[in-house]
Amino acid sequence: MTVAALDLPIAAPKSSSRAGIATVLLLPIALVNAIGFLLPVLNLAKMSFNEALAGGGIGEAFTTANWTGLLQDQFYLELLVNSVTVSLGITIATLLASYPIALYLHRASGMWRTFLTVLVISPLMTSAVVRTYGWIALLAEQGPVANVIAAMGFQPPRMMFNTTGVVIGLTEILMPYMILSLMAGFGRLDPKIEEAAQTLGATPFKTFWRIVLPLTLPGIALGCLLCFVLAISSFITPKLMGGGRVFLLATEIYDQAIVTLNWPLAATLSMLVLIIFGLALAVYSRVLQMIDQG
Amino acid sequence: MMHQTIRGGGIEAIDDPYLSLRDINKRYGMVEVIPNLNLEVRKGELIALLGPSGCGKTTTLRMIAGLISPTSGTIAVGGRDVTHIAPHGRDMGLVFQSYALFPHMTVAGNVAFGLEMRGLPRAEIAAKVGKALDMVQLGHLSGRKPRELSGGQQQRVALARALVIEPSILLLDEPLSNLDAKLRDEMRAQIRDIQQALGITTVFVTHDQVEALSMCDRIVVMKGGFIEQVGTPHDIYEHPVTPFVASFVGRTNRIKGIGGQDGSIRIGSSTIRAAAPAQKGDVTVMVRPHRVHIDWDLAAAERQTHAANRIPAALFRITFVGDVIQYHFSIDGSEFIVEEATVRSQAGRRPGQTAMLSWSIEDTSVFGAGS
Repeated sequence: MTVAALDLPIAAPKSSSRAGIATVLLLPIALVNAIGFLLPVLNLAKMSFNEALAGGGIGEAFTTANWTGLLQDQFYLELLVNSVTVSLGITIATLLASYPIALYLHRASGMWRTFLTVLVISPLMTSAVVRTYGWIALLAEQGPVANVIAAMGFQPPRMMFNTTGVVIGLTEILMPYMILSLMAGFGRLDPKIEEAAQTLGATPFKTFWRIVLPLTLPGIALGCLLCFVLAISSFITPKLMGGGRVFLLATEIYDQAIVTLNWPLAATLSMLVLIIFGLALAVYSRVLQMIDQG
Repeated sequence: MMHQTIRGGGIEAIDDPYLSLRDINKRYGMVEVIPNLNLEVRKGELIALLGPSGCGKTTTLRMIAGLISPTSGTIAVGGRDVTHIAPHGRDMGLVFQSYALFPHMTVAGNVAFGLEMRGLPRAEIAAKVGKALDMVQLGHLSGRKPRELSGGQQQRVALARALVIEPSILLLDEPLSNLDAKLRDEMRAQIRDIQQALGITTVFVTHDQVEALSMCDRIVVMKGGFIEQVGTPHDIYEHPVTPFVASFVGRTNRIKGIGGQDGSIRIGSSTIRAAAPAQKGDVTVMVRPHRVHIDWDLAAAERQTHAANRIPAALFRITFVGDVIQYHFSIDGSEFIVEEATVRSQAGRRPGQTAMLSWSIEDTSVFGAGS
């Protein structure tokens, strides 16, 4: 879009002053995006084809070694599969936890709805670091959650410094995004339509399954896309709650860039994440198409 | 007063009511929407709940459908108490004002939904859906989505969807109010025809008196949660029992008068009579504008002695509406409108003229002044 707007005055110099104004207005954001996003990404793409030298150096020579090495290394394949499955798991957990809340919020009205919406959004005002430390305190070995489970006579499972901890923490952190996406996609859900289903003989379950769920699919698709992308690129929570034992793409990129100083490999992994984003977007638009036609 | 006895009491005894609402009360917190409602509907009858917005007609309909529960009272269909049965167990077809079609399903899918919920075999569903869509002349659009249809077509899909399940009662919630005037006339006739052909008991909620008068077997006029009058369109129009009914159904003139000892009414220097004897003291007289005859020749009018109410009045305004012409007279200080079908000779009338207005005693309704 930005490019098109930039091209307009050249293609049709005398078309109108509107195109000129549009260009002027779009220029700053286009520049910021080009310098702050496009150039670094291109640089990363280039770096992923550069040689990694000992001591953190980056060779100028073109090589596909990073990519071939990545695809042949069992560790990275497992890392990839693990990242995707954990992110999908987090996405599903977030959806299941958020859907009833979003549905309730959609049906609430007036001040009560405003109050609840603010309540749902309020965690976003706290840093993810703070919230993650909150979960660490809650889920720690002698923490309140473990104590409650123990008091009920069960052996408390390990909930910290493993995948369980990461999933619990990220699910809670991503819930506001999911709830807002779901509510944004609930536009077609009209209480009259549910009532119509009921008068036609649909039980509450059938009404949900045949009417409510299909009508809320756009919201579900949007929320899942957003949460999946946020989960797979999340770094702070897996780093802190994984305790160095949970290996995900984002944490590995950090380790390669900061600890091992292998920037070309970190760049390659980053490009891999970008490719996954692209695939997720493709699935999303396909799902939207299917909803529209179905 | 007559409507006082109607309020809260049994209205009109029906031998074999199919749908009956007994002592229905509905309150939301402190707000009493319907204090006490009793209504009986015969099998196969098309009955209108008519009233202004907020009169409780839609609340009543939703209680019949089971979408809301009455605070107290019972609802029975065919002798079976359905008060505590959930809407999906009530077997009623409801057509919403907004149609409420399922946007993610085709026209055929919408109509099939109720049959699928009843677990009918696929072939039978297809046959019934086809028949229902043909009935509303939409067979050729069965594969379309609701958003691809016009308002009138959506309305017919909603009707087919409600009828295909062969409900015990058809409930229509202002089904015509979102259509344009011409389409509304067509749909009015079509709904009535289908209702007659199927012989289905129907409750029709509307605020439009023309719809109620032209389509329904009986009309229930409601106001503020109370039933004002129940009767045939003819009864409601000709013999309104409350001033509200008289002014809400059809148009009417209101003039103040004083009831005398013998049941006659004094208006200015004239004395008139009403269909029923007037009570003593201040009264309100109501006469429909098109039931009044105008004699422009005062002298000739004086000589006539037939039994009619006669009042001389001064013309102060003429409104030409096209097929009718409205003469605005002044009687004892209040405006009194007389309506005539237009003919060419009316052109010569001028404000300031005096004429003798006359109308029959049967066309005169009288109510206590407080009302």
